[in-house]
Amino acid sequence: MGGLGYTGRLFLFALRRDRWLIPLCVIGLVAWTAMYVASYKGLYSDPAELKKLAASMEGNAAVIAMQGPTRALDTLPGVIVWETVPVVSILSAVLSLFLVTRHTRMEEEDGRTDLLLASGAGRVAPLAAALGLTAAALGLAAVGEATVLIAAGFDPGQSILTAAAILGVGLTIAGTTAVCAQVTGKARLTRGLVAGVIGLAWALRAIGDLGNGRLTWASPLGWAELTHPFSGGRWWVLLLPLAATAITVALAVATLSRRDIGAGLLQPRPGPRRAEGLLLRPIGLSLRIQRGTIIGWTAALGAYGLVIGGMGDVVEDVLQSSPAVKEALSAGGSATAGPALLDSYFASLLVILAIFGAAFTIGSALRPHSEEAHGRAELLLASPLGRVRWVAGHVAIGLVASAAMMALLGLTIGIGRGISTGDFSRVPALIAAGAAQAPAMWILGGAAVLLFGLSDRLAGAAWGLLIACFAIWSMAAFGDLPGWVNDLSPFTHTPLLPYADAEPGTLIAMTAVAAVLIGVGLALFRRRDLA
Amino acid sequence: MSAVIEIEGLTKRFGHTRALDGLDLTVRTGEVHGFLGPNGSGKSTTIRILLGLIRSSGGVARIFGEDPWARSRGVTARIAYVPGDVNLWPNLTGGETIDVLGSLKGGIDPDRRRDLCERFELDTAKKTKAYSKGNRQKVALIAALASDADLFIFDEPTSGLDPLKEAVFQECVREIRGSGKTILLSSHILGQVEQLVDQLTIIRDGRTVEAGSLSEMRRLTRTSIRAETAEPPEGIESLAGVHGVRREGNRVSLTVDTAELRPTMDWLAARGLVSLVSQPPTLEDLFLRRYEEG
Repeated sequence: MGGLGYTGRLFLFALRRDRWLIPLCVIGLVAWTAMYVASYKGLYSDPAELKKLAASMEGNAAVIAMQGPTRALDTLPGVIVWETVPVVSILSAVLSLFLVTRHTRMEEEDGRTDLLLASGAGRVAPLAAALGLTAAALGLAAVGEATVLIAAGFDPGQSILTAAAILGVGLTIAGTTAVCAQVTGKARLTRGLVAGVIGLAWALRAIGDLGNGRLTWASPLGWAELTHPFSGGRWWVLLLPLAATAITVALAVATLSRRDIGAGLLQPRPGPRRAEGLLLRPIGLSLRIQRGTIIGWTAALGAYGLVIGGMGDVVEDVLQSSPAVKEALSAGGSATAGPALLDSYFASLLVILAIFGAAFTIGSALRPHSEEAHGRAELLLASPLGRVRWVAGHVAIGLVASAAMMALLGLTIGIGRGISTGDFSRVPALIAAGAAQAPAMWILGGAAVLLFGLSDRLAGAAWGLLIACFAIWSMAAFGDLPGWVNDLSPFTHTPLLPYADAEPGTLIAMTAVAAVLIGVGLALFRRRDLA
Repeated sequence: MSAVIEIEGLTKRFGHTRALDGLDLTVRTGEVHGFLGPNGSGKSTTIRILLGLIRSSGGVARIFGEDPWARSRGVTARIAYVPGDVNLWPNLTGGETIDVLGSLKGGIDPDRRRDLCERFELDTAKKTKAYSKGNRQKVALIAALASDADLFIFDEPTSGLDPLKEAVFQECVREIRGSGKTILLSSHILGQVEQLVDQLTIIRDGRTVEAGSLSEMRRLTRTSIRAETAEPPEGIESLAGVHGVRREGNRVSLTVDTAELRPTMDWLAARGLVSLVSQPPTLEDLFLRRYEEG
């Protein structure tokens, strides 16, 4: 196995490079579970409270799409597992995506893999070390999660099954990332592909859980749920992620052994000898740089809108068959109950999709940062092009594209809904509802510009803000956060269109906040040294 | 002649490290100015201050008579710059990149662009991702050379070029100088710039150690010589300006003060010169000489 030479050393080297990142991520994952355990033990110490919760969640389509079907919600571990497993699984998947890409394709793209292989490391060694590192991080997190559950007094076997189910998701995505890293020559594209796979897994699970459950079996995120921890417990389901991991890793290794180092499976093609039109203006260059990302996100969100919109009829059925919802309906006595219910369902989905979409907004606002880090900003800024104009161009593209892709998301949800329920009348309202999410995304983009303006080293902290917003969203669904914490996330201020009334004042105020953040960021950037 | 670049007592601190520590540099209009120093001596830091990319911590820096940090359009439009380490946008072709960079300076001369692409033999249809270091450097060089700037700043511009392309670059520099423009050429190898430069500033540890014309400095330096003669070169040690003689039969290696080069060569020729290798003074020699004196 000459291809694996130095794997151990490369593993230790990767561990050394990530000696802060990995503990931080592992602690974050375990803390997520621990936080729920602590707060729910307090909130639902009374079995009657649990019964009430279980009844209110039964048949809530939005919640089922987000968390999976309600099982064993009348027990404390049942509620906690139902609440945490989907979220922690996705976070583990994202961790896998970043770690594997970072230590494989990114290293190769920047030419550092050449150095290692030239020094005697085997061809497969960097990939093996990256997978080892990721598995170690995920394994540590699993041990932590199991420990937290057991320490809370829950059944040890089922606690371990819970942690293993989450670990399975992380490992499957690690293998998937290894494959995607072989296909494309660019780390950014690799991450995009894997994010698409995670999104697809999420959609399959949501459709499956709302429908007959078959599609859930096709989703790695579904497998975690299907182990049924604390509600039966099916260990054999863990064979699915194990097999998926083995197959994807084997596929990646086979591809890696056949391809050129530094190249993907797609060879670069020649392009135009001259630049034309818009490209000759600074904004055109920024647009070209961001083009691929914008197309990727737009396509993904658009397709996603069609899928969740297309589930409209199923969701409507689930909602109307729910006893809790029926009760609310008879009290309200509204004739448009069905469509209004569906509106509220889409309104709540749009919030979380806007938080995901803000990843694009932040990435786009931080483009000048990556240009600076790669030494390309210097080429531009040595010319008469002003700093403010350059950054403002990138940021403007990000802001406009964010709003446009959210509006498009609303449009495709509306179209999907029209196809499934025959009711196209809500399309304009859904477009507006999508676009109304933009100001909250702009605030995060603005915060990223501010951090970038302060210092090139602080810029990355913007991603922490996104995770904080996600955490607030996740906890706020159950109303167990103090109001002021809840208010910190811009997404809690967006009016819940198309269900609730539009609040133009709020949206204008949020846009103003974003504008101030961007303005201050630009002013700061004018004053600082280029890295 | 007025000065294009005037730097006096320039300092730059990055946290606790002092990158520049009282640097002086004067570049006059129409000259090719060599800016030399070992790795990490502060060449790129100085250039980045001149470009207004970073701000000086103290001292005076003027470019076309203005503060570089202000980056007035009147100044930046007159400068063309090629970094030592050229990084390009991977999804653009080389040709597109040249045009993009050129457009920022208000467009480039298409004939000159075509001519330069031919001379440097650059395949402009390739994506920059597929380029070698030398080819990336060519892209930045062509964009700069085809522009209508008055001051050209090259930071180790030929480190990735093969000798033929390096010769093309030298030709281009002579052409630019012929049209009365000013060039600042940084390098850590004296041999790369000595054929081009009129004036030289040598820095070390962020300070100027030597400045003047090349011929002035040459006089202070030594050329190293290896020769084989028909008659044994006995007694060569006693010639004026000859140092470090090592003799082995009819072969000899030595260094000689450049001012004493001619009598030494005459002496060797008189003893039936069979073979001769001579090396011009290196940057290291200039430093060594200075420390011996100093």
